[in-house]
Amino acid sequence: MNRIQKKIWMLASVVLIIMAIIWIALTYYNQKTQNQYNDILQRYLSMNEVTSTSQKVVTDLNNYLLEPSENHLGKLDKSKDKLNMAKLEIGKLRNSKNEFALMNYMNLIDSFIETTDRSLMFYAESDTETSNKEFTEATRLSKYISEMTLTLIDTELKTYDVFYRGIIDQSAEFKKLGIWLMLLITLLLLVITYWFSLSITRPVQQLTRAANELSAGKFDKEIKVESNDEISFLAQTFNRMRININNLFQEIQQKAQLEHELQQNKLLLQESQLKNLQSQINPHFLFNTLNTLSKKAYLEGSEETSDLLVSVAGLLRYNLKWLDKSVTLQDEVMVIQQYMNIQKARFTDRLTLHLDIDHSCLEVQIPGLTLQPIIENAVIYAVEPREEGGQIWLRIKDGENMVKIEVEDDGPGISEDIRIQILEGERIETNSASTGIGFVNVVKRLRLFYGMENLMDIQSDIGIGTKVVIRIPKTRGVEQHAQTLNR
Amino acid sequence: MRKVGLIFLIIICIFLSYLTFTTAEKVFHSDWKLPAAASQKENSFRIVLITQELDTPFWDKVGKGAEQQAQRNGASLEVWGSYGKNQDDFLKKLEIAIQSKVDGIIVQGLDTDRFKELTKVKAAFYGIPIITVGNDVPKAESLRKTYVGSNQHLAGVMIAKLMLSDMGQEGQVILLSDSQKEFYQEQRLSGIKEVLQSFPNVETIYSETPEAREQVIAKTRDLLNQYPEADGFIAVNANMAGAMIQEIGRRGQVEPYFIYSFDDGSESMTLLNQKKLDGVIEQSPEMMGRKSVDVLMQWLKNETVPLDANGYSSEIRMIKAMDER
Repeated sequence: MNRIQKKIWMLASVVLIIMAIIWIALTYYNQKTQNQYNDILQRYLSMNEVTSTSQKVVTDLNNYLLEPSENHLGKLDKSKDKLNMAKLEIGKLRNSKNEFALMNYMNLIDSFIETTDRSLMFYAESDTETSNKEFTEATRLSKYISEMTLTLIDTELKTYDVFYRGIIDQSAEFKKLGIWLMLLITLLLLVITYWFSLSITRPVQQLTRAANELSAGKFDKEIKVESNDEISFLAQTFNRMRININNLFQEIQQKAQLEHELQQNKLLLQESQLKNLQSQINPHFLFNTLNTLSKKAYLEGSEETSDLLVSVAGLLRYNLKWLDKSVTLQDEVMVIQQYMNIQKARFTDRLTLHLDIDHSCLEVQIPGLTLQPIIENAVIYAVEPREEGGQIWLRIKDGENMVKIEVEDDGPGISEDIRIQILEGERIETNSASTGIGFVNVVKRLRLFYGMENLMDIQSDIGIGTKVVIRIPKTRGVEQHAQTLNR
Repeated sequence: MRKVGLIFLIIICIFLSYLTFTTAEKVFHSDWKLPAAASQKENSFRIVLITQELDTPFWDKVGKGAEQQAQRNGASLEVWGSYGKNQDDFLKKLEIAIQSKVDGIIVQGLDTDRFKELTKVKAAFYGIPIITVGNDVPKAESLRKTYVGSNQHLAGVMIAKLMLSDMGQEGQVILLSDSQKEFYQEQRLSGIKEVLQSFPNVETIYSETPEAREQVIAKTRDLLNQYPEADGFIAVNANMAGAMIQEIGRRGQVEPYFIYSFDDGSESMTLLNQKKLDGVIEQSPEMMGRKSVDVLMQWLKNETVPLDANGYSSEIRMIKAMDER
């Protein structure tokens, strides 16, 4: 994960390589031209060497002839050796253009050496005249050698003219190359550096932007950085942090909502309890009294009254006892039967209750006193006002995840406005005919209990009847919610 | 906008790299043709052709012929020489050639002592064969192997006959020759005189002058003054023809005179074309060059030893001004 470092290294090595290439090329070129110049100079120098050494030979010979001493002879031999060396050097300069001339040249040198030798020989034989003649010839030959050297150099210049001009042209081109190369490299390096810096700064900019947005509170925008270096790692970490914060946030919100609901639930409960308490004198006194009344009625032979009193007592107890707890559907159904017993006593034939219960569903947990207020409502609105009485159906059916409870009556029905008001939980009941817990209270409690909306539905046609449908989930909503949270 | 900039940048980059690479190629790639290495022909003979008159049409042709033949025989040949009959220079070249130990020397004969000494002593000392070409020097005096060129005596005979056929058998003829009696001129003169002797009505006036132009002009003037009746001129030394005709032309018409010369002068052919010369003895310079090299090679390769000391004559023919175009 040292990508940025790598990139910097890469840039540095690119620059280094370019520099190395240029350096090598320059060195190569320099070496090449140096060699060329050396060769050229060598040619001229070795030719010139011949001239100067031949002149030296003449001088030494002259010295020796004037004053024959070992010293002078040694010098003469030395310069002759040098001339021979120079001749050998000259031999290397042969090419097809100067072959002829060079051969002549070398032979001329030979002749020159021979002539000097002859002069020495005659001198040794004390034949001074001939020796002098040979010396004169040697002098002349030395002159010829000088002239021929010049001619050769001239030929050389002509032969290599193109070559020399080529070198000059090349050096001119070389200057141009330097300029072009500098421009090209400058441009390339600028471009490379630009791209390189962009590859570092662009992700940083993206990250900065993302950080700004995050600090502004936008947690739902994904942080995306197009890069493959440390910045991208940073961005990923940043992104994960964003997701975590987002999740935490939602959790807190949900918790707050839940707490709020709980609060409401409690309030409702307290309200219903209060209402209960208001109507509660002394429950034990009331039960005892009701029981006593029941016994008395039984003893007096009024069995029907006795039963009715038992039902009332049961209902009352249930009312007080189960309001803030969940009960089974079974309990609810029992309470409804007791309640209906009491109401039957009141309405006799006018009220008919039809029960259609699937007994396998009766284990479902529901809030206490859920069905009773609905039935009571149906009795109050569908049976009580009508002289001919009414019918009430209670159906409990097994759905897939739900238990479907239907309470239907054949009363006058309710208007659409009222229906919606009830479902929205806005309607304030003023009718005091109920046992205390109103319809709206049921709706709200159901909603809180299961943590779901739309558990209750009301279908109503004016003049035909009203049907209240409650769907009870087989598992409780709060549990479901807890499960989702734990996931 | 960004795209345009990018394309612009790329184009600049390509352009710069193109320039860089082309110049780099020029810098690092050189295709100068250096002279090839020495051909190492060990047994290639080195022959020098030395003339006194470089850059004259006649001797150029000799050189050309010689070079052709040398090429054919696989020998290397160089043409050396002096310009405008500079004897010192010429002799120096000859000496250098001898001291350079060339394999053979073809030389335009020069009838001087120094020349003879060089050929006889020096060349013989180094064992270098010498062939005279164009102009001969007697074998006894120069130890030349042979002579290749025109038979100058015959040339003299031909020019005399040519003149007689034009001029008729009587008249005054002025022979202008070199005061430095060269062998070939002597031969020409002897040929001319041999013919003219048998015509008593033809008066021959022989005159000598150094070759320098002013002196030729002066001499011509003298002769014209001395012999106003002269009918014909023969420039035995062809190089004198130009100066001579110039002086004659200054006096009057050139046409009435019968003027003849040889083709080895630098102006001969031009004068003939201008019809200022009435006739020229044309030799075969190219053939001379070829033959001389051929003969020398034969000697060097030991094919023909000894060479014919009398020489190998090349073709000569007469050209009249009328014949030319």
